[in-house]
Amino acid sequence: MSAKRSILCAIAFAAAAVASAAPLPATIKIGVVETLTGDNSAYGISIRKGIELAAEEINASKLLGSSQLALVVADDKADKQEGISVFTKLINDEKVSAIIGPTLSGTAFAADPVAQKAGVPVLGTSTTAVGITAMGDFIFRDSLPQAAVIPGTLAAVIAKYKPQKAALLFQADQEYSKSEADVFKASLAKLNIQLVATESYSKGDSDFRTQLQKLFSKKPDILVLCSLVGEAIPVLQQAREIGITVPIVGGNGFNSPNVIKNAKEAAEGLIVGSSWFIDSVVPKSKAFVEAFRKKYGGDPDQFASQGYSGLFIVANAIKGSGSADRTAIRDALGKVKGLDTTLGSFSFDENRDPVCQSVPLTVKDGKYVLFQ
Amino acid sequence: MDLSLLADPVFLAQNLVDGLSRGALYGVYAMGFTLIFGVLDILNLAHAATFMWCAFVGWLIMAAGGAPLPLGLVAAMIAGAAIALMLEFVAFRPLRREGADKLSSMISSIGASLIMVSVAEAVFGVQTRRFPNSVLNPKPFFIGGAGGVRISRAQILILAASVLLMVALGLFIRKSRMGKAIRAVAASQKAARLLGIDVNSVIVVTFLVGGALAGAAGILVALLTNNIVPGMGNQIELRGLAVVILGGMGNIEGAVVGGFLLGLVETLTIAYVPGGSDIKDAIAFLILFIILLVKPNGIMGRGKADRA
Repeated sequence: MSAKRSILCAIAFAAAAVASAAPLPATIKIGVVETLTGDNSAYGISIRKGIELAAEEINASKLLGSSQLALVVADDKADKQEGISVFTKLINDEKVSAIIGPTLSGTAFAADPVAQKAGVPVLGTSTTAVGITAMGDFIFRDSLPQAAVIPGTLAAVIAKYKPQKAALLFQADQEYSKSEADVFKASLAKLNIQLVATESYSKGDSDFRTQLQKLFSKKPDILVLCSLVGEAIPVLQQAREIGITVPIVGGNGFNSPNVIKNAKEAAEGLIVGSSWFIDSVVPKSKAFVEAFRKKYGGDPDQFASQGYSGLFIVANAIKGSGSADRTAIRDALGKVKGLDTTLGSFSFDENRDPVCQSVPLTVKDGKYVLFQ
Repeated sequence: MDLSLLADPVFLAQNLVDGLSRGALYGVYAMGFTLIFGVLDILNLAHAATFMWCAFVGWLIMAAGGAPLPLGLVAAMIAGAAIALMLEFVAFRPLRREGADKLSSMISSIGASLIMVSVAEAVFGVQTRRFPNSVLNPKPFFIGGAGGVRISRAQILILAASVLLMVALGLFIRKSRMGKAIRAVAASQKAARLLGIDVNSVIVVTFLVGGALAGAAGILVALLTNNIVPGMGNQIELRGLAVVILGGMGNIEGAVVGGFLLGLVETLTIAYVPGGSDIKDAIAFLILFIILLVKPNGIMGRGKADRA
């Protein structure tokens, strides 16, 4: 942190303080609701790391003047009831100004209405299902919705492999997976790829060979998978085990390095779409990767990057509104335009969904690299 | 119904292999379950938790400790026997001594199960554990060359284990002295005691054998699905119970045959019924229901006197 920048920040803060009547409180509480236990903690723990790094930087740089952000972190356990109870507690007892989270779309569909009703702004940093922000005008996300990622990913796959036929596997009783499967189906139809077979599985299943065998028997040119990390790993392994060698396209759930770490060689060649990747040349992203490595001793992933940028987006909204008031923050979030983040230049559209880039990636030698 | 799939003999053979190996798992699990039921007339609902703990013991020894598979299998069976023995002394014998009814024993086993799952969650966390490829090469064999029928080492192991354990247990129950004592206790504890049989030690042996079978099932399921979590017992618990009833309560061979049947029905439903994976449980249990309407004592069920 350079002295020059802190002076600039101080001036900016002074200007903001003059503009609004009441100064910002000494501490502003931000709720962070993520999945920190179970298989899906692969996403939640990563997001928390990104957010905590951002909080340190925001407080150290005095982005909000003498005001400090205080994170109230809670585990939603990837459970709807738990999500609702944690949201209620953060809103009523902790009196948070805004909430970042929850990790899974399914939890968001259950918990976000609680915040909407109480008038607390929510920023999802990993929810991608169709209809998340449609729950209300307090619900935002910086994670690209499936419809913004999938067509681009498929277009890149078409350019390289020219597939005619696709097969799809998803989890029938999981909101994220079901929504993603629907978006894939629509995109495939639009791109004139014939969907020759669709199969599903349910929560708790661990043997997917029969479904995969059935898909395989239809001789698809590509296989599309919509799974969360707990199933993504065995699905990939079993697909390769039964002899499926065609390119595999994964949904957002496959964006975690945890998938690569556990599925090992079965993950090689996997194609995903993402808002971010480790070698991104966006200036903010380079600084973020460096700071993340320094603090945690490992590489960040897409979820850490979206969490990190998420808190900066909220902090900038607080700064812009000059207030820790929930409605004022909501109004300021709506005005975020061209903000410099790790995801590139970031804006919200009129539906409170993010407008930022999406890139196709593939797994090569155990790492996500640009798919070309 | 997808006609092109019906005409594909390789696809059918593949599903038979997958279905039988899925069923073999249910069979091994249900054997221990039905043995304890046959002898004591109580449902040991902690059998699933025992099964889960054994999978973790196997994982600890093989994945974390680097032990070879046979050692892991033996260790898991010993762990299963030890856990079942503990259950007998903590959850069942005190109640039996007080002359409590069968329902109390079942409730007591539910309590034991909840404690065991919670302890596993505290010790291992709720994250999925997996075996490294070094434990058992996951690369399958293809009968009839590439594009033929796939069978993995784990599937061969489980099919062999289910039949071997069934034959061994059947011989033990029918031919050995202890087996005869077990059958006597199953028929009537009072009469067995009058004949000079040490009922408590017979029950201890029953728990040891039943627990060892839970251990074998735990490690085999872990190898086949490579998915070890504290909640893994939930997936097999209800199916195990169904298989026991289907085969005839207390009937060892019935448990294995019932297991094969359920595994086949589930797999063939996923394979041939459109949307089958969503309704496989509904179809499997519907068929079960119909079989029980025709044969209320189960496929191989006889009267109570003949149990175990």
